[in-house]
Parts: sequence; structure tokens; C-alpha cells
Amino acid sequence: MTADKGLPELDPVIHAQARLRVVAALNVLGEGDEMTFGSLKDLLGMTAGNLSVHLTKLEEAEYVRITKTHKGRTPVTYVALTRRGRLAFEDYTRAIRALLDPTGGTP
Amino acid sequence: MMEDSDRASTPEEMLRIIEEQQATAARHIYVDPLLLYLPWGVAWLIGFTALFLHFGFDGHGYAPISQDQAVAVLVIAQLVAAPLCFFGISRMTLRLRGEIRAKGTMYGWTWCAGLVAATVLDVRLSPLLSPQDAHLLWGGSMLTIVAVLYMTGGTLWSSPHMFSVGVWTAAVNVLGVLLGAGWHALLAAVLLGGGFIVAGLWWRRRA
Repeated sequence: MTADKGLPELDPVIHAQARLRVVAALNVLGEGDEMTFGSLKDLLGMTAGNLSVHLTKLEEAEYVRITKTHKGRTPVTYVALTRRGRLAFEDYTRAIRALLDPTGGTP
Repeated sequence: MMEDSDRASTPEEMLRIIEEQQATAARHIYVDPLLLYLPWGVAWLIGFTALFLHFGFDGHGYAPISQDQAVAVLVIAQLVAAPLCFFGISRMTLRLRGEIRAKGTMYGWTWCAGLVAATVLDVRLSPLLSPQDAHLLWGGSMLTIVAVLYMTGGTLWSSPHMFSVGVWTAAVNVLGVLLGAGWHALLAAVLLGGGFIVAGLWWRRRA
């Protein structure tokens, strides 16, 4: 199974710069920790609309969990990586490293 | 629309994106090293230098500054440093929700409890001591709290930097207490004040 330039198939949900950056950033948080949408937007330097589009795709794949709530009267949206998203990111990173080191330590 | 037009082309490029994004995220999410170390470094460099100029070695001061004045300089410098450091910590807790935030809140209260307890102990005991020993009691107890809580912070957030800063603080503090008031002030000014400044700048640069 090959995709770009003979590379093995990589998770298409993550194999796009913007979504890879979202997942890589959220993976820095501990399991169960969430980040505000605004903070994630600032961190990634994306527009709110652009980030929303990518988060929707990630949410559809069940890679992120989006929780809308209120802090006082102000609406706040929290974003977190799901367990599934964390595993997908780990698999993706492993696959990328394997591509860079095709021997993969095997004899 | 972005869609998938930004699909990266090479594994090298994707790995670079992952590593850069994780480093940026860690700097953005957690407390900026500049805010965590630099304010305290500057405060201690100024404050403990004032105390050293008062005590000198063997009780002969190097500047006409009383102990009260030197302590006032240290206290004022720390009162400036504390809000900067707490700004960094509160900025982190406002951005996040979950276990990390609960830990941050409890950690903040631990600082308060430790500093209040040490202050009560020092206020109660320092009138019984000579000015040099009173300095050692105040300086030694406060820096013990700082050392232990930096090590605790390092443990909580899996930060070897923070943990090592705590170990360094404990070592310098113990050495200073053993050598006497003048040495304690000098070592705290140079190795802790200067050390925290260098650590803050260095880790911020590398983050």
C-alpha cells in the first residue's frame, strides 16, 4: 500500500499540516486535561474559522473532544485529545519515524 | 479553504512539524521559564547583595546599609517578583481545565502555607538570636521552602528543569547556612540570583 512517492499509507485525518499541528499541540497536555479554544487558536496562529473546520474533522474521527460550557456568563469551549486521538498520533509518529529509518532496527 | 492542500510532502517535514509544534505548545501551555525564574533571580540578586553589603565577611560590612534597610530591599524586590511569577502560573491555569489545573491550585496554596508557616516560626524565634543568626533563620527557612517547592513542582509537572533548580537552591542554601550570614547572602545573591537569571534566559532561549 503506497501513497505519496511510495510512502506507506498514513492516517489521512492527521496527514495534513494543520490537523497534525492541532493534534501535536493537544498531545502535550496530560490525559484528561483540556485547553480553551481561544488558547489553542493563539498557540497555532490560526483563524477561529480555520481551526473550527479542522477541529470538526478531528471530532468526526473521534480524535478530539469538544466541550462547550460557561465561565460565569461567558461561553467557553474546551478542546482535548481523546484516547483514540492520542493513539492515532502515536501511530502516526511511529510510522513517520519508521519511514525515516526504514531498517527500523530490524536485522 | 485550507482543506488538505496543506498536506506535507515528506516524512522529514512532518517530523519537523511535530517536534516544533510540541515545543511551541509546551512553552505556550506551561509557565514561561522567563516568568518562573527571572523575577526571583533579579529580586535575590538585588536583595541578597544588599544583605551581603551589610554583613560582609566576619561581620564587617562593605556599605553603610543597616540590616533593616537591606531586608527592606529584599522584601520589596520579592514583592515585585511574586506577581510576575504568579501571573505566569495563573495564565496557565486560565487556559486549561482538568487535573493540571487542580494541581496548579493546590500547588499555589502549598506555597502560601509553607511561607506563612516559616514566617510565623521566624518571627517567633528571631528575637532570641543575634542579627547574623536571625538572617540565617529567615534566609535559610525561606530558601528551604523555595527549594522544596521547586522540587515538588518539578515532580508534579515532570520538569527536570524545575526539579534541578530546587536541588541547586537547596544545595546553595545549606552551604550558605553552614558558612555564616555573609557567605549565605553572597552565595544567595550570586549563585541563586544570578543562577535563576541565567536559567530563565537559557531555558527560554532553548524552549
